Amino acid sequence: MEKVLTDFVKALRNSNVRVSPAETIDAVSVIDSVGYEDKELLKRTLSIVLSKTPDEKEKFNACFDDFFSDEIKQQVSVDIDQLSDIKDVDSDLAKKLLEGSQGELMLSIADAAEEAEIREIRYFTQRSVFTRRILEKMGVGKLEDELMQLGSSREDELPSDFEQELRNQLTNLRERVSDYVQQQFLLHGDVSGEQLREQVFKSMNMAQIDRSYLNEVHSLVRKMAKKLANLHSRRKKNFKKGKLDIRKTIRDNWVNQGILFNLSWAYKKVDRPKIYVICDVSGSVGAYARFMLMFLFSLTEVVSKLRAFVFSSNLGEVTNDFKDAKLDEAIEKALQKHGGGSTDYGQALTDFVSLCVDEIDNKTTVVILGDARNNFGPEKAHLLKTIKERSKQVFWLNPEGKYRWDTGDSVMTKYSAYCTKVFQCGNIDQLERVVSTLLKTAI
Amino acid sequence: MTDGPKKIIKDITKGFAKHGYICSEQIATAVYLASELEKPILIEGPPGVGKTELANTAALYFKKEMIRLQCYEGLDESKALYEWRYGKQLLYTQILKEQMQEVLEGAKGLKESLDRLMKFEDIFFSEEFLETRPLLEALTSEKGSVLLIDEVDKSDEEFEALLLEILSEFQISIPELGVRKADVRPLVVLTSNNSREIGDALKRRCLHLYIPFPDAKLERQIVQARVPEITESMQIQLVNFVQGIRELDLKKLPAISETIDWAKTVILLNSEELDAKLAEDTLNVLLKHQQDIDVVKKEIPALVSSATETSDGKSLN
Repeated sequence: MEKVLTDFVKALRNSNVRVSPAETIDAVSVIDSVGYEDKELLKRTLSIVLSKTPDEKEKFNACFDDFFSDEIKQQVSVDIDQLSDIKDVDSDLAKKLLEGSQGELMLSIADAAEEAEIREIRYFTQRSVFTRRILEKMGVGKLEDELMQLGSSREDELPSDFEQELRNQLTNLRERVSDYVQQQFLLHGDVSGEQLREQVFKSMNMAQIDRSYLNEVHSLVRKMAKKLANLHSRRKKNFKKGKLDIRKTIRDNWVNQGILFNLSWAYKKVDRPKIYVICDVSGSVGAYARFMLMFLFSLTEVVSKLRAFVFSSNLGEVTNDFKDAKLDEAIEKALQKHGGGSTDYGQALTDFVSLCVDEIDNKTTVVILGDARNNFGPEKAHLLKTIKERSKQVFWLNPEGKYRWDTGDSVMTKYSAYCTKVFQCGNIDQLERVVSTLLKTAI
Repeated sequence: MTDGPKKIIKDITKGFAKHGYICSEQIATAVYLASELEKPILIEGPPGVGKTELANTAALYFKKEMIRLQCYEGLDESKALYEWRYGKQLLYTQILKEQMQEVLEGAKGLKESLDRLMKFEDIFFSEEFLETRPLLEALTSEKGSVLLIDEVDKSDEEFEALLLEILSEFQISIPELGVRKADVRPLVVLTSNNSREIGDALKRRCLHLYIPFPDAKLERQIVQARVPEITESMQIQLVNFVQGIRELDLKKLPAISETIDWAKTVILLNSEELDAKLAEDTLNVLLKHQQDIDVVKKEIPALVSSATETSDGKSLN
């Protein structure tokens, strides 16, 4: 029976539930005490042992239902003897469907699947192909032809009981095979498909990512943000020396007969960084702003204060939208409200300075995302200088390739003079690197 | 083991109900597994669904001592595991000084003094001077205990690492005294509100139970158990109303504890029937944010009418 369990664990891993060998061992010992008889109990039990987050529990439930769905369905069996028409069909499959036991049927599905090389199934999209292949191997084509003949040869309108039964059985068989393929996919399907996709997304230009993939990219971004958050939440614990901790000093120094020899210090925690983001959401760079905001708002754990501003011509704050609503909605809303229109960096900087220059202090990092294409308007770079002087650092992220900076109406060099650092930031990989640098230096 | 797991799980459900804790099958199964496998159990879920209460009830049910450790940022081993009694130790060295005179009397030369000193019993690091803190207490408890490590997500990551040895081996290494192993393994319950992701290493050592908001049927049972003096129609209306509120988009959804508080309030006010005015007057028991109250206020008529309607239907059946 352990084979069933290890197969199930494999299926779980393929549907992205992380199960360690130690947990598998736990599961084995659990099954020793609860047994396989009660499916509900088994499900509850394994769910406690194997899945460790609410999200995983959901996946677990789906996977469990899929995996243990091959229970033999109770069927109303028609008394075959009364169906005199049986002589009309002579394909093996029809006989199997009508006369054979469920077990035999499953066996022949498995045989046909073997022939169809189901083990080779790798991707989600291959399921229908394999289902069709297995059905063909089982001789569904012939049965369908015969059913057609039955249909055309009958005189009365209604199909006979026999024909109806055969059709039902055929539908049933289709479902059975598709379930079987789903199960095999869970077993043999490869997660590498997903990894491959993630790889592609990471290195793809953000503006080119199709909207239909947004959800997947979002979860990818969240994953990366979480990784960064974990990395940097440790860093923030590099304390600075603060006051003398008298209690600890006395405790530590009893070895010296109470003479205060080694001093202990009360540690002071360093504040978490404040980040102000200004995003250009005009037509050309709106797509990048989406990912930038997605990334940053997934990082609230390590950033104490994050304020986001977006602009195309006038600047507006969107922080509260992001706090209250869901990320996707907030991004849509921000893009709708402020997006489009012609870009005016000069105006945006003026607005930003008048809005919150007083709040910028030496712990604040200001991040500006934009292509610095100013439509030949006044760039007002001196405002950026003011911002830089007040803040800890100013980062500029430009989604365009370096070779395009300063061409046409781009005034990148004028601004980059007042930036601590300028990054090219066109795909998610680059974005991750930038955010990592940001967290490293902002603390 | 003579009883099948199903029977034990049923017993747990019944036993817990006796102590006023109505649990779903999932919860009962988790408790059964935790006691059967002697593994710690990590409970997650929104605040107020009875995570801490589960540990309390488990202690009552298994008739074991309840030891609670509340986690917070900056919690360290001297507050969670053990500490030396520094004051007593200092006094001890004072006494020792006087004793030394006698011990060393007549000793000739440094070597002999040292030999005598070595033979002298030293209890500087010993049980006498050990102040046990919750974790060590739970391990050394002779009859076994229920150890509740509450809101483990509030503690630092370092503390999580400290827990690993205790949770997997049920032992604590005290450098001066050696390893202390539990004779009777405590039933360990950890709770988390998910303000921080718990590390994989810790999760792997625990069973994991997620307690969601209860469905209407379960919640009615809970209210009945906790506030037995409430009338049935009132109880059904209250629960339906709360279930309705949970459908809304709120900052903090009312949990079971709030439903119970509300039921108690209604009893206190001697109300027989849920109506819009009563709901509006007592809404602050249920909701903890002004914004939420504003949102719900608008919906009260609809919520009340649907809550009372369904209860009428139920009472007819």
